[in-house]
Amino acid sequence: MSQITPLTEVQAARSPRDLRSRLDFWQALSGACLAIFVCFHLIFEGSVVISPAITDWIGWAMEVTYVAQIAAPVVLLLIIFHFWIAARKMPFLAGEMQIFINHSKALNDVDTWLWIVQVLTAVVILAGAFFHVYTVMTDLPIEVIKSAQRLHMGWWLFYVFFLPCTILHTGIGIYRIAVKYGFLSKEKRYFWRGVIWSGMGCYLVLGTCALIRVWFIGN
Amino acid sequence: MGRKLTFEIFRYNPADPKSKPHMQSYELEETPSMTLFIALNKIREEQDPTLQFDFCCRAGICGSCGMVINGKPGLACHTQTADLPDKITLHPLPVFKLIGDLSVDTGTWFRNTGKKIESWIHTNKKFDENAQEERMDNALANQIFELDRCVECGCCVAACGTARMREDFMGATAINRLARFYIDPRDNRTPADFYEVIGDDQGVFGCMGLLACDNVCPKQIPLQDQLGIMRRMATLESVKAIIPEFLRKKLMGCKSVKP
Repeated sequence: MSQITPLTEVQAARSPRDLRSRLDFWQALSGACLAIFVCFHLIFEGSVVISPAITDWIGWAMEVTYVAQIAAPVVLLLIIFHFWIAARKMPFLAGEMQIFINHSKALNDVDTWLWIVQVLTAVVILAGAFFHVYTVMTDLPIEVIKSAQRLHMGWWLFYVFFLPCTILHTGIGIYRIAVKYGFLSKEKRYFWRGVIWSGMGCYLVLGTCALIRVWFIGN
Repeated sequence: MGRKLTFEIFRYNPADPKSKPHMQSYELEETPSMTLFIALNKIREEQDPTLQFDFCCRAGICGSCGMVINGKPGLACHTQTADLPDKITLHPLPVFKLIGDLSVDTGTWFRNTGKKIESWIHTNKKFDENAQEERMDNALANQIFELDRCVECGCCVAACGTARMREDFMGATAINRLARFYIDPRDNRTPADFYEVIGDDQGVFGCMGLLACDNVCPKQIPLQDQLGIMRRMATLESVKAIIPEFLRKKLMGCKSVKP
């Protein structure tokens, strides 16, 4: 008969209050907060498709209430925080990356490939978010006409990459949190993956339409 | 007349200093209901008696014949050649120590992992060999049995990108094993005890949700569901000092008998 075994020294050295053990929690929480932010941000930006006046009004409301001025640096810090925690799992070493890519090619499993997509888009978002926030927040007030001018200055190329990367990372991230924390059981997984894919498609269409609309305002 | 199958098989004998890793081709005529297990035995009997691979039960019960079949880990005895293309590439399972060709030592890995996660019932009750076994709710017994169906073939570990990159990651099979004790009322361990075993990046937090373990499991054990339950339990345990008790219990998600 087995008895309750005393914890080993290694296990006993760790406790629930150990900061490292909470990293997963903070990664998921910061990711979920950023995902919510992106969803609302893209809808607000997408309002330009209906009318640029609506977008200008949202920008004005965000500024006079100081939401934009406070949220912008907070979101940027949250992105850095989220990346910093999640990076502990990234294959930074060349050998690790090679193993993972070879493994993904051989296995050819969609969910494994999606993780590589998430890693690559994370790097794009980390760099892109800084430039995006810097250019917008150092040129207040937020107005559609200014965005249009930026697009015509060559920023359209930046957004063509930044927009799908953000949407992909957000969608895959939501799916992965739901799976990792057991909110999506096996039988529901494929249905909800389809729902999330459709959602990403809708956001991509909305974002693309918004970019096109803003581009023509600039003309 | 059946298809002509071409097998590309990884050959290497680590015990032979002259042996070098290489791929060797074999051709075989497909027969009705042929499994990879039958094909490999035919190759060994008729073409190459030095070919090494493991098998025992031929029925997906022993988990010995796990190998990488056209890139995906699976059991040779469970895989029909009819479901595969004309060219079949076979590799040994990665992560585990290679014995030779397609044969790997999963036993040592599983024994070490079993010890690490303390894969046995922890109880203070004195065992009475004359007493009747304690009764258990049938639904719960079935639930435990469902998780106990793991045959330790190692396919989930071989399919896991995290396990491929990080040798110290314990893999889905270990978490599933612990999930089985988590719901067993005979095991006295609390969530805090389970947390101590798996609450780090070598354990449940190391899982990146790649889902390949779940996709390749030959026994269709819902591995990712178990990882989800255990991850949520461990996460809530890690932040129990800052999350209200009612919220923690509400979020726990698993109808566990544990406190």
